[in-house]
Amino acid sequence: MAGSSGGASGAVPEYEVPELHTRVFHVGSFGALWKRSLPGAELAVQGAAAEDGAAAVAEELGCGLETAAELRAVCSIDMLKSPDKEEDPEIISEDSSLVTLRIRKKALERREETIIVDRTCRQETFTYEMESHAIGKRPKDPADLIEEGELFLTLNIFYPVIFQKHKDHKPYQTVLVLGSQKLTELRDSISCVSDLQMGGEFSSHPDQAPEHISKDLYKSAFFYFEGIFYNDRRHSECRDLSRTIIEWSESHDRGYGNLQTAKMEDYTFNDLSIKVGFPYLFCHQGDCEHIIIITDIRLVHQDDCLDRTLYPLQIKKHWLWTRKCFVCKMYTARWVTNEDSLAPEDPCFFCDVCFRMLHYDAEGNKLGEFLAYPYVDPGTFN
Amino acid sequence: MSCASGLQADCEALLSSFQETDNVRFEVFSGLWRDRRFHTIFHGQTRPLEKNKFTQKVLDLAWRYFLPPYTFQIRVGALYLLYGLYSTQLCKPKQKIRIALKEWLEVQRFQQDLINAQHYDAAYIFRKLRLDKAFHFTAMPRLLCFRTKKKVRETELKEEFKELSNRVSKLITNDVLEEMMNVHDHYQKMKCLISTDGSQPDKALSLIKDEFVINIKNMILEYQQWQQDKMKSSSKAKDSDEMTDKREGGTSQDSEGSERANALAKIKYKSYNAVAEASKSRRHRQVKLESSESGSDQGKMKTPRCKRSRERSQLTQKRNSLETKDRRQAIKKEAVTRNRRMPVIAEENSSEEDLPCPKRKRTR
Ligand SMILES: [Zn+2]
Ligand SMILES: [Zn+2]
Repeated sequence: MAGSSGGASGAVPEYEVPELHTRVFHVGSFGALWKRSLPGAELAVQGAAAEDGAAAVAEELGCGLETAAELRAVCSIDMLKSPDKEEDPEIISEDSSLVTLRIRKKALERREETIIVDRTCRQETFTYEMESHAIGKRPKDPADLIEEGELFLTLNIFYPVIFQKHKDHKPYQTVLVLGSQKLTELRDSISCVSDLQMGGEFSSHPDQAPEHISKDLYKSAFFYFEGIFYNDRRHSECRDLSRTIIEWSESHDRGYGNLQTAKMEDYTFNDLSIKVGFPYLFCHQGDCEHIIIITDIRLVHQDDCLDRTLYPLQIKKHWLWTRKCFVCKMYTARWVTNEDSLAPEDPCFFCDVCFRMLHYDAEGNKLGEFLAYPYVDPGTFN
Repeated sequence: MSCASGLQADCEALLSSFQETDNVRFEVFSGLWRDRRFHTIFHGQTRPLEKNKFTQKVLDLAWRYFLPPYTFQIRVGALYLLYGLYSTQLCKPKQKIRIALKEWLEVQRFQQDLINAQHYDAAYIFRKLRLDKAFHFTAMPRLLCFRTKKKVRETELKEEFKELSNRVSKLITNDVLEEMMNVHDHYQKMKCLISTDGSQPDKALSLIKDEFVINIKNMILEYQQWQQDKMKSSSKAKDSDEMTDKREGGTSQDSEGSERANALAKIKYKSYNAVAEASKSRRHRQVKLESSESGSDQGKMKTPRCKRSRERSQLTQKRNSLETKDRRQAIKKEAVTRNRRMPVIAEENSSEEDLPCPKRKRTR
């Protein structure tokens, strides 16, 4: 497959720039190398715990049975517990010598004095729920169980920068995908407002607006990883969006080397050669660009969500500020008007109900002069 | 003081006192842990997200002492620390310890060392962590997200925990000594062959002292001993005589079963640790080079000079990789005008924060 270097030496991820990103390596070979390095019991995602009797210990460590039995007692976790008094793990004891606890105590006191607790707390609870909602889940159908040795990739997918205030701190969502999943499975799971955008001015026939959703009109999209554009060619009307870029690059001899194209639907993440921590690209709707960073790859663990059907799994998202209707100040805006004789400002935002109530009579006739555009709020997917 | 530096202070205090005992038994470590009631480090956290993040942070910190360049004693201490932290954490499910693939070889070698030296308690605990599935087997030690987060500065960990390193021990390792010995023997034999008396070389050919390899070894050991003593006396104002005494008879507290092996292992580590460590890391690097050089020159007899030039090329390679840092490009996003008919919406200049709560709660 294109872009695969294969050999074991190239499969051990190393830093290219320390603490920032790795060199290029082949995802599948990396996974295979881990699998080869570990005994089956350690890879297993379910089943009984491995043999922990004295005999097994003695054999593995090469010690006597007596020593093995002794080790069990000497190395027990109970050895780390202080039996002297009952304690509540939510409370920090007064007489602790640990610096960490003194700092935490102070932070907690400060927190109690301020009022913002409630809000940050709610936000945190939500982030936690998002992160952990699927942990430990098992599929109903055993065929959907994720196999041992499967790879987990953590991806940060950035929203296109639409607000000035996000220029420095770009919002993103985090998803988990499986090494054996196709790129198209990720593509289909990315929710972006520009897919719901409706082009056109609809003031004279507002009921027709929902028919023109961009996702259905413009199906082309590509991922860019390490010199290769992976184009979505599943639909006959899909255009090769990358062609213009490649032609531009070649015609001007920009020094980007050999850019190649491939079909998105033919590749799984295991087939890719990538750098962890390096920014790549997802592009759809012609010009809606999302930076993608693979922040982590690891072997599946038995505590993970093992239901294959739940992947790509979203574990973090950013709350985008939503525009509210100017009239009711309650619902998220669905319409935006320009040059609106009935509105106090230009542009003006309305929810569907208020928009229609204000701009049309009972028979649906247009009242006054205005231009109306369907509006999809960036916070739609909140 | 930040939470992170407090955490580091606590871990280092525990490891320091373990280091002072000059002993690698878990029994000793668990005593020190109990004295400090170290498990309470997880106490006072009520929010689950906070709990998870803190636990990840402390496991990551402890893991760093478990790898070279830290001394054998500190690495064993770090293993016990990881075991303690992993087992007493309050997260459900438990947060895992991350092992990166490139660290795996080192970790396995360490476990083998533990078994060979019959440090059964340490070997048992590592085995137990593996059986408990305490690890995530990863690509890299930490998550990497390019420059999107504020750059987290890698904090310097305690210098005294590190294996003594110096140019001398890096240059002249066990391997190099062994090779020198081989070359020397070979040289002697060659000289014998061309000499009139086949059993010993002619006087005219005797241009080198016969025991020079042994002399070099002794000089290095002497130097290391001197360096160690200097380090200890400078870090602590203790009587140096007492230190030597302790070092010589320090194994008395050990459990009987592995006492002899322990003593042996200690002597080995005491006298050779710096040498042995350096040679290991070197062997490791060599393997890397060979695989990238399509395996020429794999013969057993390598001259030291050939090795040195390889090492030099390694250094230049490293320098080159540093330079690529400067070539990193910032990602810029060009504004593209849409050609579809779109409304005119001015950019809202609001400084309002993103609403944290889900819509359904607001609209209720
Ligand atoms: Zn988009
Ligand atoms: Zn409204």
